[in-house]
Amino acid sequence: MIARRAGRWLTPLLALFAVLYLVLAREGPGVVAFGEWVVSWFGGAAIDPIDRFLFMNVRLPRLLVAAFGGASLALAGAVMQATFRNPLASPDLVGTAAGAALGGALAIVANMTELGVVAAPVASLVGALGTTALVFVLARSHGRFAVATLLLAGIALNTLVGAITSFVVTLSFENYTASSRVLFWLMGGLEARNWEHAAITAVGFALFAAMLVPRRRELDLLTLHDDTAHSLGVDAPRVRRWLVLCACGLTATTVSNTGGIAFVGLVVPHLARLLVGPSHRVLLPVSALLGALLLVASDLACSLAPPQMSLRLGVVTAFLGAPYFLFLLARCRRGEAL
Amino acid sequence: MNELVAADLLVALGNRQVLRRATLAVRQQRMTLLAGRNGAGKSTLLRAMIGACAVDRGLVLLEGQPLAVWLGRERARRVAFVPQSIDTPFEFTGREIVAMGRYPHHAAGEDLDASDLAAIERAITAVDAAAFVDRPVPTLSGGEQRRIAVARALATEAEFLLLDEPTANLDLEHALQLVTLLRRLANSGAGVLVASHDLNLFAPHCDEVALLHDGRVAVEGPPAVALAEANVRMVFGVASGAATGAFPRDFRL
Repeated sequence: MIARRAGRWLTPLLALFAVLYLVLAREGPGVVAFGEWVVSWFGGAAIDPIDRFLFMNVRLPRLLVAAFGGASLALAGAVMQATFRNPLASPDLVGTAAGAALGGALAIVANMTELGVVAAPVASLVGALGTTALVFVLARSHGRFAVATLLLAGIALNTLVGAITSFVVTLSFENYTASSRVLFWLMGGLEARNWEHAAITAVGFALFAAMLVPRRRELDLLTLHDDTAHSLGVDAPRVRRWLVLCACGLTATTVSNTGGIAFVGLVVPHLARLLVGPSHRVLLPVSALLGALLLVASDLACSLAPPQMSLRLGVVTAFLGAPYFLFLLARCRRGEAL
Repeated sequence: MNELVAADLLVALGNRQVLRRATLAVRQQRMTLLAGRNGAGKSTLLRAMIGACAVDRGLVLLEGQPLAVWLGRERARRVAFVPQSIDTPFEFTGREIVAMGRYPHHAAGEDLDASDLAAIERAITAVDAAAFVDRPVPTLSGGEQRRIAVARALATEAEFLLLDEPTANLDLEHALQLVTLLRRLANSGAGVLVASHDLNLFAPHCDEVALLHDGRVAVEGPPAVALAEANVRMVFGVASGAATGAFPRDFRL
């Protein structure tokens, strides 16, 4: 019941924000006259070809990257929280995103991006899988992932991988364009996203979400103790590996296109769970919708901020996410479940 | 008549051999009590019998086939398990937890149908949980959670039911209710294995008592025989004197 209600208002809300985005978002100082552009379809005055170009090749793909990227990160977070049986697991805290960023940075610095559009996502996926596998090994004790060990392993790897990424960037300082590209990308943002980026994000989302959805009931069972999941017929270690692979895929295809966008994967599944409860049959689609909504709205906020501020998307999401994280911590201190 | 048999199991956890040559059979229409000291390996034997822990030597047989050759779902439709706690970090409702018992009846990606909902209702009614089944599990008392866990196992409609300390945290009324329910399930064809310290509660209702001692089932037989004074002294190291003289035969508060 609740699920249907949440679903009913989420989809129109996302559609509303998408339209708002198309109407209001700005690319740099120029403002595309969306209204005129629509009028021109119906035989009105022809519009400036530059405006048309900006709309079709800048604004639209950027909207798609925001929507599919937000949905991917949120799904990845929901999956990680269930598979690690830990409500703090998310691509950021576990180190998956940092690994993906390292992979992506290496790809940019090594000029692998010349090899084709999938080079960066593939490098990101390798980095994401490597880091996550390490956390898996480090944080697991007696078949479970305790909050403390997972966070400690996550902090250690985030720091280490972050340091390696910085090292890679400084190594390439002589190559000014590459290092500034990496730095700008690492901060997280959706500037200059073209149709290739939109396609990679959308295909990554579609592919890995399609791999996840048939596993929605296993996700519920994995939140139980492994013995219980096993007694109900779930091969917990195998299913967990498969699901974490999907979560890494979702994170990597997104991060390689958007850079570091913090907290979406942590916060959105929590909000979704407050709305519709923990059952993944409903939680997965609601998380995806909420994630898309959050990133589209945040990116709209970025583009509406005064141009001299040059607000970055990763900064906005961090501003939203960090207080929520502190709120979780406060609840934890009061002895409530996370 | 089907059997779930642990044959000559050796299980080592770390350096310690928890089970050494443990042999136990759960038969349909029978209810067996598994008892023993703390750390005697009761939980480990149960885990081995659902295939959840690696066995170093020996075999667990379900319908004559080694447990390892069964597909997960096929096995889960035949052998159900009630763990010591529900233990999930998320706020599932009791009904959602019970519904998880229907998982082995479906292929991946299928949702529940009317027959599942009926089985879920029956399981909830059997443990008298209707009053609190729609509340989030973390808000339930320990005893209520235990009954939800039992209901989940019942919802699988398995022919073998293995329970780990099912009456810990249960009040007297619901403990007695659970014993009666398990007895009824056994009478209607289920094979029930209960690991418990509560000899007083279970022994009078069981067909068989197995005592784990020294990594093996040292004593096995009808309650009155298995819980004879000499056996109780050997396994538990306590004298069961006059107060327990009549104990295997009738239940006393």
